[in-house]
Amino acid sequence: MRTIKKIKIVIAGPFAAGKTQFINTVSEIKTVKTERRTQAAGEKNVKDYTTVAMDFGKIRIDDEHELYLFGTPGQSRFDFMWEILGEGALGIIILVDSTDPSTFHEARKIINFFSSRFPVPMVVGANKQDLPNAWSPDDVATALDISEEEDIPVLPVSAIDKESVKRVLLTLLEIIKTELTS
Amino acid sequence: MALTGDLKTFNFVDILQIIAKDRKSGILLVEWADITVAYYVKDGQIIFARPVDRVFRVYAERDFDLLIEKLRISKDNLSKTVERFLVDRLNLKDGVFSFTPGFVKYASNNYGIVFPIEKIIMMASRGLLQEEVERKISDEMLIFEPAENIQDIIKRAELTPEEQKVLSLVNGERTVFDIRKDSGLDNLTVDRALYGLLALGVIKRKKKEKKQKPSIALDLLMKIIERIKEL
Repeated sequence: MRTIKKIKIVIAGPFAAGKTQFINTVSEIKTVKTERRTQAAGEKNVKDYTTVAMDFGKIRIDDEHELYLFGTPGQSRFDFMWEILGEGALGIIILVDSTDPSTFHEARKIINFFSSRFPVPMVVGANKQDLPNAWSPDDVATALDISEEEDIPVLPVSAIDKESVKRVLLTLLEIIKTELTS
Repeated sequence: MALTGDLKTFNFVDILQIIAKDRKSGILLVEWADITVAYYVKDGQIIFARPVDRVFRVYAERDFDLLIEKLRISKDNLSKTVERFLVDRLNLKDGVFSFTPGFVKYASNNYGIVFPIEKIIMMASRGLLQEEVERKISDEMLIFEPAENIQDIIKRAELTPEEQKVLSLVNGERTVFDIRKDSGLDNLTVDRALYGLLALGVIKRKKKEKKQKPSIALDLLMKIIERIKEL
């Protein structure tokens, strides 16, 4: 039996940033979830279930390769999972809820966490751009203190829209291509 | 598109950083626990503040010069409104804000700025709580480096001797831990200064020296790109 080689991209970000939805939108399989009911008072107000270990979806590339999209849990109390999931990742996508500035500082901490441990290409998805009170990607970049020199593009995305999710993935892959050929 | 949020989780330093960055113009509305105040922002500077009982009036009165004439406020007194309704309130944490860009018309280019936004950012940073500074100065191993062309910003910010000392220690090599130690200042003073300087854009996180070469063959990567396009 032929072994399928797995290629991994990690989708990280604060609680309720839309990571599971992002994966769902492009995955060819029903996203495998590890969800539990939210417990903390502040979290229960936002959603009923949250990822506690990881989500994953996959896209078949050819007979020998599959692209796995791993979603991390959003809460920093599960940061041991970030470490495990980040290992061997080809690239990292950090999703941010553009409508909720209270999560921007947490997003910056997550960027710091991954960029200090896994020096691989990274993009930020300013999610929920379909909502009327979404901050623009430029303002999200400023709020996250992302300087031009950091080479972390902040892209508009709506995780419910397939083309939008594809654009984020393709941008990350093009950065990887540039780094590979430079 | 309005920028909205809560001062408890996105403080005044953060808000002013956004406004200053692209020299935005518009109205910053803050609903404090006691009053609602409209702050008039022109080219990244807060030039006037006034309490409002009915918010719609703010959006109806678009001609700024006509407005201050109607309110009988001379241009010399504009800064006093900023002092009273903003500077004196920078340490209050209970409030929600919304910034709506554009729509106010200004006839003049000179409204006599006594409190440049850089100065207000540093004033606000001096009142940050420990839990607030930890949002950005989250790790004592963080390394910052000075940005370029910062002299004008520093001049307008009117740094305290402590803040100047912290800035002088930022060199792209010292960690936050080193700066705390070498400055001889207490940790909170150092962290507040770093938070404010970061918001001003005079320091920035040090770029990681080298990314690792992606561990994938180019032809496989091209296949993945084509596959994603097909989805």
